[in-house]
Amino acid sequence: MSNSCAQRRLVYCYVAVVVLAHWQCPTIAAADHLEQIRQRGELRWGADAEGGAPYVYPDPEHPERLIGFEFELAEALATQLGVRATMVQNQWDQLIPALDRGNFDIILNGLELTAENQQRIAMSRPYYVYAQQIVTRSETTGLSGMTNLDNKVVGVLSGSVAERLLKQTTNVVWKSYPGNVETFADLKNRRLEAVLVDLPIAIHYARPDPMLKLSGAPFAPGYYAIGILRQDQTLLVAINSALERMAGDHSLERIYQKYSLWDERQQALSDYRPEAAPTTKPCITLRERLGYLPLLLKAAVTTAELSVFAMALAVIAGLAIVLLRLYGSGPIQWLAQAYVEVIRGTPLLIQLFLIYYGLPEIGIRLNAFCAAVLGLGLNYAASEAENYRAGIQAIPRGQTEAALALGMTRWQTLRQVVLPQAARVVIPPVTNDFIAMFKDTSIVSVITMVELTKQYGMLAASNSDYIVVGLMTAGIYFGLSYPASLFANWLETRLRYDHC
Amino acid sequence: MITVEQLIKSYNSVRVLQGINHTQTRGEAVVLIGPSGCGKSTFLRCLNQLETADSGRITIDGVTIDASRPVRNGQEREQQRQLRLRAGMVFQSFNLFPHLTALQNVTVGPMVVKGRPQPEAEGVARGLLAKVGLEAKAASYPAQLSGGQQQRVAIARALAMQPKVLLLDEPTSALDPELREEVLRVMRQLAEEGMTMIVVTHEMQFARDVADQVVFFEGGRVGESGPPEQIFSNPQHERTREFLRRVVTK
Repeated sequence: MSNSCAQRRLVYCYVAVVVLAHWQCPTIAAADHLEQIRQRGELRWGADAEGGAPYVYPDPEHPERLIGFEFELAEALATQLGVRATMVQNQWDQLIPALDRGNFDIILNGLELTAENQQRIAMSRPYYVYAQQIVTRSETTGLSGMTNLDNKVVGVLSGSVAERLLKQTTNVVWKSYPGNVETFADLKNRRLEAVLVDLPIAIHYARPDPMLKLSGAPFAPGYYAIGILRQDQTLLVAINSALERMAGDHSLERIYQKYSLWDERQQALSDYRPEAAPTTKPCITLRERLGYLPLLLKAAVTTAELSVFAMALAVIAGLAIVLLRLYGSGPIQWLAQAYVEVIRGTPLLIQLFLIYYGLPEIGIRLNAFCAAVLGLGLNYAASEAENYRAGIQAIPRGQTEAALALGMTRWQTLRQVVLPQAARVVIPPVTNDFIAMFKDTSIVSVITMVELTKQYGMLAASNSDYIVVGLMTAGIYFGLSYPASLFANWLETRLRYDHC
Repeated sequence: MITVEQLIKSYNSVRVLQGINHTQTRGEAVVLIGPSGCGKSTFLRCLNQLETADSGRITIDGVTIDASRPVRNGQEREQQRQLRLRAGMVFQSFNLFPHLTALQNVTVGPMVVKGRPQPEAEGVARGLLAKVGLEAKAASYPAQLSGGQQQRVAIARALAMQPKVLLLDEPTSALDPELREEVLRVMRQLAEEGMTMIVVTHEMQFARDVADQVVFFEGGRVGESGPPEQIFSNPQHERTREFLRRVVTK
């Protein structure tokens, strides 16, 4: 008995020591990250395995295991450093902020060696030479170069070099996607005319697909390199020498051959001589920040439009649902209730994916805005139906009886007596939902809508300016929702009938 | 004009109406009295189908509902509505529509149910409000009116549908004593004008003065019925005597 008590105390002590040790870790890390990696015996590398082929992705035959040329590269690199490699999953366009936060030691995930990235973090010598590739549907002709893309809708990966290239060309309509699978799905769904991606992605996804083709020769070559925190100079040196060794002894070539990614361009890896990279992180001036404002306001208009249309749909559809539920015949009542329960019991995100990417499979192809309005509207309709039900049931039974006693039909009773009174009861909860929807619209960025939160994410990530842009964005949200709240108060007062 | 045959109604397993028979001719004012819970209100609510009886037949002005056939389809529902159109109802708790003015409370029935144009309906409504002494309150909302005023608007609302019979379910019970008289005065006037009425009430003086027929309910049955002078001066049943003694001493 006393023995087990002592054991337990020992366990508590151990836990306390471990917790304390971990608390102190970050301060040690700041001094020397390489030393910490060696002590821990683990190189933590950040990457996005969601739709991440051929870089790093779940093995189709053993989905619990990761494969990919970067996965093998990370393993080899860790071996060179004398540790093991652990992948840390992170959304691709937020890798640099996550590195800043210390979620992992390095970024190894198709990060391009650009001046812009080098202003924010340190970057290793390159490990791969990529190029841009246009992908189209197999029957499309004539889109073999950048100049052919004028006035075409082109999909790109959010935060990629391709996105930056298209932003610089004025005549292309580009759409940003969080992952590659979605871009190719939309290309096949004819929402896009072409996709501009890094060559390895095109090779992996588009080449085996009979509906797609690689159109024209690759162009605009560039380097992938490993992202490291600026202060980790010893880690940078260690990684650079490891990469140099792997380029020299053909271990890189062996990995790339395996994934059909080796081409004559890779010769440049062994011959690479670093140029002087900009090392200082520029200050963001007030003027630059004011420059974000038009972009944010434009996105705010999208958010407002989405909310207003989706709420209008929700308010009307919700009414239909509650009427069917309360006054329909047996099976219809059951269906209406089932709708409410299923919609409430499943995530909005999945509903949006089903509408945007699922419906095209059965021939219904909606643009992103319509899909977003439909998804949000049908989702909130369930909630509005419940609000109405509470409102209708709050009207005393005597009201219905008095109307029926006058000879009104059930519909006339509802229309003339119950609903006008219920309207006032439901204004506060419906307003509440409307304001909640303003904020829920941020979720539709997953189906390529650039609304306020998405715009914030893009601006903040590319400028590493989360606080100021965040406050500006929050201010705009508040500026939109507070008037809605005032309007509801006014409406509620106007509909008062107990003037005493 | 009104015939009720063998009306039976149960809540769960409790029989609240145990086979009521009732006949009433045009222009007759009938007052239902009896202890609480004896089935008076239930009987009244069955007459205009706010409650459906288990069995029995109700006929008002030629429209018959057979209570043993539950209302399911549209035709039966229309039959039910026709019966309601012939029987106006005044509730103990008024049940005015709080989102409408007094005038709108009176016009809403004719306009919505009978499709009367607004000017016509308003003309009739103003006349009825004048009749109950409330022409000055036409623009007031129910919450701005006293209980007695609300009940008078409710009577005007029921009259606007030109019912063949007016059913009043304890119309003064929710009112303070000083407000009851204004409502009773309106009811007396209606009886004098020859309105067919069934009134559930505890106002024995009103019953004595106005009723053509008094029906004493007891335990879901008609205990005794007859002209008021008989019921009040010479009741035949011990139960009736006992009830009247209690009410009068109160």
